[in-house]
Amino acid sequence: MAEADVTDPVDLNEDSQKTKPKKSSKKKDVSYPLKVVYCGVCSMPVEYCEFNPAYKDCKKWLAENCPDLFERLTIEEEADAGDGKKKKQKRGGRGVMKVKKKAEPQTVTISRIQRQKKKYVTVVRGIGSHDIDLKDAAKAFASRFSCGASVSGDDEIVIQGDVTDDLLDYLSEKFNIDEDNIEDLGDVKK
Amino acid sequence: MFKKFNDKENISGTTQVKSSVIRSIREKLLDTYPDIKDYLDQILPKKEPIKLIKCHDHIEILALGGEPVFFKQRDFFMPTLKLLHKYPFLLPHQQVDQGAIQFVLSGANIMCPGLTSPGAHLVQADKETVVAVMAEGKQHALAIGVMKMSTEAIKSVNKGIGIENVHYLSDGLWHMKALKK
Ligand SMILES: [Zn+2]
Repeated sequence: MAEADVTDPVDLNEDSQKTKPKKSSKKKDVSYPLKVVYCGVCSMPVEYCEFNPAYKDCKKWLAENCPDLFERLTIEEEADAGDGKKKKQKRGGRGVMKVKKKAEPQTVTISRIQRQKKKYVTVVRGIGSHDIDLKDAAKAFASRFSCGASVSGDDEIVIQGDVTDDLLDYLSEKFNIDEDNIEDLGDVKK
Repeated sequence: MFKKFNDKENISGTTQVKSSVIRSIREKLLDTYPDIKDYLDQILPKKEPIKLIKCHDHIEILALGGEPVFFKQRDFFMPTLKLLHKYPFLLPHQQVDQGAIQFVLSGANIMCPGLTSPGAHLVQADKETVVAVMAEGKQHALAIGVMKMSTEAIKSVNKGIGIENVHYLSDGLWHMKALKK
């Protein structure tokens, strides 16, 4: 389907004169890929933040991360308020966006399980909720403590050997997890 | 399609795609989206490993460096919104009015009236065409859909579902975590 005019593959039917083809063609002065700013709170392009039920949180983020845009939005909003209600087409029914709540960072727990008389494994749970990739973390643990480490379940990593003490420091140092947020459960029976 | 999708529960397996398969995928993409031509090497670099993520309900997702770029259910690959945002010219743009945005963002199909009101804008497209769903006053696409009626039919019937919502901002595919190796 190689057409001569590659920039406009959209216009499939020429006999519909009334349909103005708004070309989705490339703009000449733009280079691709485009960069889109995504909101750090709702993850959508920032122009859609207003549809996030938790728009307030988005605004906070915008104020911190893209002050220019935040200012523009505030000005626009004030203008809207002045004009009275904007003529938005409204529909009935429920159309509230469901937001997937980001899992709140849970307390990270460290526990020790005895394997044999003097052998232990260390179990770390809960770091997945801190936006850390479990596989990466397991690898990091393995190389840091020169031992085996593997992802052993949903948000659980097993490290071979007793590394609880070092692990506390390492978690806060490498993964920025606050020490107050780490709980050492000590010895746990299997 | 991705309303209830969850990357932990709905993925059945990930495989590295063979280069011969990639070649045929590239050809199909070129065929479906002729405008991709100049950018195909950027979007699917020949040398980088590409993963095929198989999911339930016959959904397959093509990922590059862990980031989903194309997805399909049975027939043909469609770009993900993240990819479309980078290369918006890949799909024809159908614009809905302001009032429809919140519904599209909650996963609803796009009803004809939202496509024919003054704030909306339609381009010519046949039934079953994959389109980018844009919105009045917004620059970026908010959903990817499949035309359930041709543009003429949407205008003349002006009732029922005009565009099926297959992938929208903040659905399961949008939130899919970049997969590591
Ligand atoms: Zn936001």
